[in-house]
Amino acid sequence: MSEPRQVNRAYQSQLRRNWWLKHGYYQRYMLREATVLPLLFFCGCLLTGLYSLQHSEQSWLNWLAFMATPWVIGLNLLTFFASLFHAKTFFELFPRVLPILPAPLMIAGQWLGTLSVALLLALLLGGVL
Amino acid sequence: MQKTLVIQRYNPEQDHKPHPQHFTVPCDDSTSVLDALLYIQQQLDPTLAFRWSCRMAICGSCGVMVNGIPKLGCKTFLRDYKDDITVEALAHFATEKDLISDMSVFLTHLQAVKPYLINHDTRPQPHQQTPKQLAKYAKFSNCINCGLCYSACPQFGLNPAFLGPAALTLAQRYNLDSRDQGKAQRMPQLNGKNGVWGCTFVGFCSDVCPKQLDPAAAVNQGKVASAADFVIGIFKP
Ligand code: SF4
Ligand code: FES
Repeated sequence: MSEPRQVNRAYQSQLRRNWWLKHGYYQRYMLREATVLPLLFFCGCLLTGLYSLQHSEQSWLNWLAFMATPWVIGLNLLTFFASLFHAKTFFELFPRVLPILPAPLMIAGQWLGTLSVALLLALLLGGVL
Repeated sequence: MQKTLVIQRYNPEQDHKPHPQHFTVPCDDSTSVLDALLYIQQQLDPTLAFRWSCRMAICGSCGVMVNGIPKLGCKTFLRDYKDDITVEALAHFATEKDLISDMSVFLTHLQAVKPYLINHDTRPQPHQQTPKQLAKYAKFSNCINCGLCYSACPQFGLNPAFLGPAALTLAQRYNLDSRDQGKAQRMPQLNGKNGVWGCTFVGFCSDVCPKQLDPAAAVNQGKVASAADFVIGIFKP
């Protein structure tokens, strides 16, 4: 005789590893999260730069040459735009989490802040100030 | 006009997994997915199982996946879809039969955050509130417990113990209520790894919420509250 049939089995589907490929919405989310990858590369560049600076003149010059190679410039340009994209998504989410002022005002304020810090750094590092 | 619905059928007494079945239904501009399901049940196949009650987006019982997106069947119209429409039971929940999901885990999560006013002053008197105090939480109090946000949330899909958007929104709704004194009782739930920190702000829950509650915002406001709770905890004797 066969086993008594089990009834009332609810069907539970499992999320597969590629769940985020299912929707444009999830893909955009993953893109936002993935912006950290080129940023890691850039941080690596900076650290190696610091290291070579205190190591020897030759290694510093090597590093400068490395930073000027087209693929490194390309990757760092990618980092730049990825970070801008991440900033955009972050700035838009922020007013929803801390709704102090009207959202457009807060978004504009954050961009203004970013721009001023970037300008200040450019002035400082560019040797104007 | 006619349209084809591809419905995921599942009979727990016969099937091991859901399988699609095609139905063609008559429709006009006012036909909702729920209307189409009712037509199928009444005219084509009386065994089709699904939940519904109010037909006006207020009871929250008719949630299904329409073309892979969580929707209220009564608030989704056939006119907005060009081709065949697939209808499945809500994602991330267990399917009991056809389009009926087992919502018990959702209800347990709602209960876990003590979603009611906790006030030590039990004297029978009104607890007054200004419009400004009301505005703080009013938006988050419109939840109809449809569970769509859970079907949109991959974190809940990956970890069913995660309290999830609606429960965390409800916690925030009561924590922000000036008449409530239960925040200290709710924070341990919110602070845990299945609380607000389980959220990575995917944000799809806010997109699918039929009442525009913005649950993602509520959950992340909960993170601010949780962080504050932590810092205050350090300095408290
Ligand atoms: S927060 Fe919105 S989507 Fe989630 S259960 Fe409530 S009404 Fe439904
Ligand atoms: S039937 Fe009540 S919300 Fe759709």
